Amino acid sequence: MTRIKPYLSPYLFAGLLFSVSHCVAAEPFAYPETNPFMATVAGTPEDLKAPVPDEIDVQQDDLSVRVLPDRKLPSALSRYRDLQFRVAWQDKPAPLTFLIAGTGSGFDSARMDYLKRLLWQAGMHVIVLSSPSNFDFIAAASNSGMPGVGAEDARDLHTAMTLALQEAQDKKGFEVTEFRLAGFSLGALHAAFVAELDSHLGQFNFSKVLLLNPPVDLYSSVGRLDELSYTRVDGVSDSESFYEHIFQKLSRHFAQGGNGDIQSSLFYEIQNSPEALTDPELAMLIGAVFRFSAADLNFMSDLINNGGRFAPVGKEIKVSTSLTPYLRRALFCDFTCYINNQLWPAWEAKNAGRSIEDMAYETSLRSLSSFLQGNPNVAAVSNADDFILTRDDYQFLADTFGERAYLYPHGGHGGNLDYKPVADRYMTFLQGGAHE
Amino acid sequence: MNKACLIGLMSCLCYNTASAAEDTDYVSSGKSANGSSLSFPAYHDPLTELDLDERDNRFQFERSSLGALNVQDPLEGMNRLTYRFNAEFDRYVYLPVVRGYVWATPGFVRTGVSNVTNNLRDIPYLVNNLLQLKFERSAQTTARLLFNSIIGVGGMFDVAKAMDLPAQKEDFGQTLGHYGVPAGPYLVIPFLGPSSLRDGTGYAVDWMIDNGVNYMEHRDYMSDHPYTWGIWAIDLRYQTPFRYGALDSPFEYDQVRYLYTKLREFQVEN
Repeated sequence: MTRIKPYLSPYLFAGLLFSVSHCVAAEPFAYPETNPFMATVAGTPEDLKAPVPDEIDVQQDDLSVRVLPDRKLPSALSRYRDLQFRVAWQDKPAPLTFLIAGTGSGFDSARMDYLKRLLWQAGMHVIVLSSPSNFDFIAAASNSGMPGVGAEDARDLHTAMTLALQEAQDKKGFEVTEFRLAGFSLGALHAAFVAELDSHLGQFNFSKVLLLNPPVDLYSSVGRLDELSYTRVDGVSDSESFYEHIFQKLSRHFAQGGNGDIQSSLFYEIQNSPEALTDPELAMLIGAVFRFSAADLNFMSDLINNGGRFAPVGKEIKVSTSLTPYLRRALFCDFTCYINNQLWPAWEAKNAGRSIEDMAYETSLRSLSSFLQGNPNVAAVSNADDFILTRDDYQFLADTFGERAYLYPHGGHGGNLDYKPVADRYMTFLQGGAHE
Repeated sequence: MNKACLIGLMSCLCYNTASAAEDTDYVSSGKSANGSSLSFPAYHDPLTELDLDERDNRFQFERSSLGALNVQDPLEGMNRLTYRFNAEFDRYVYLPVVRGYVWATPGFVRTGVSNVTNNLRDIPYLVNNLLQLKFERSAQTTARLLFNSIIGVGGMFDVAKAMDLPAQKEDFGQTLGHYGVPAGPYLVIPFLGPSSLRDGTGYAVDWMIDNGVNYMEHRDYMSDHPYTWGIWAIDLRYQTPFRYGALDSPFEYDQVRYLYTKLREFQVEN
């Protein structure tokens, strides 16, 4: 889809050729939501999604493995002692894809379930793992208890994947023909690091690696997400609550005749009413969701490392103990605060004389350039309006992945991943089909 | 030259269909392996359109979130224990049983069972709509009961829904709230989950209404055939989408408490 310039250029002919071949190969991209915040929150309308089977019809189970034998957890969190994961399997030998969830998301999140069904339907076994940044992974499978350093997270994930695969095959008895790897958002960054690590270890030898809306520079992306929670929202004064403001809008919507029953179509209904949420409100909502993930991460990481910043060191946290006071404290620390106060001091202690920029670089896709550049087995999907990316980040994806950079004009952060033409394209890649 | 024109025409047509729904700039970036140039949609930074003020709005998130944590919960210790008990019961007993039920029955049977239990629930809904003097909704609920019980063969088919008569859910907790009774302390009820003193009381009253009306003598039938209580309980979980752990947070209790409280405020207001 080349823009045709009104003047002749040496690239015109090649550009035309490319346009034609492109058009023939792919359905046109007509994802309807051009607002990046709406796209991120609402995703793809039901009738434009790539069809997947019902959750009930997938042959799947949740299993768990003990990854860290020495990990001690307070009884309030003992449910998370073992790492839980989800496996969907086929009855005959098939490729297996590991799926890694995004920031603050678990193996059972709605996005992972959709992707899992897409892969399973295409004849793959699937193992879904929580994000290393999610509290359950920190509790059960993070050696340092302090996620956010690319190479360390990759080692934790690689171990978890090995154990999960073994457990799944023991319990379900399926046969794997080859391995693939995919991740969303932070999970995509993790997928790249795991693939690079595995290229040295030679254990899985992933035939395909798919990065869905990856950050390029993790610390800059989380900084941008932090910023969203500082969005100025009209109508929220210095003493008012943003949530109450949103709820009042919902209330007015219902008072004007909306059905009193809270339904799944509620969001679309509201966005087509006079009480539709504005861009700043949507951005603030997204920011708030991430801030809660940051609070979870801060709290868990501090707890595992006996930091005493939120829960007092040595305090027995029983099932009946109120965690509310700790949440109150953790809410003040965003992702950048986590990096500066937890990650950086620990990293600096191990890497004397090096700067925070060095740490950031080592957890960015840029540090994997030589592995990613021109690698025919790694592809990235992203959008020109994915707000976790800076201009440079976006350019990096285009330059590094070239014809395997599936970049779309709209979709925000992952809003168009369920959209059929987009899904068809990355599924073709994952299954080893011809590139467009 | 002719060939180039033809290709040009095709690509123009193509370009037009592809961008019918959009107005996007494309920029070229490098070349692909076979030498053709690649183009990508031009970058667009959504953050520049927002008023992001780190100084002025420094505490907007914190202020809002701290406020949301103020829920009256004097029995928190006990509630947290009950919450955990419910979560474990759900994980090891309730959900496995529901999965067995899903495995053993075809979809239309499960839908039929849900329709029957929901038809019975329309009785307390009707009573509470009347108590709140919501006559239009009462009339709708009466119509639902008649259509579903008679045409829908004892409630097995929700024919009323197809006639654009959705259920008008009102419970006695909402009726109390409608007349100004505050929710009172937050309460987690064993097996049933989040509630409040007012709503828990309301639940008991609805139960008695159901028993007193004994619509289509279902209570007598259920007492004579105790296994039906089991089906009723399994169907209740089958119809409830909530999953423990779905919020992906060590602070799930706090978040559920807030969301439940807000949800009930809504339901009372509407």
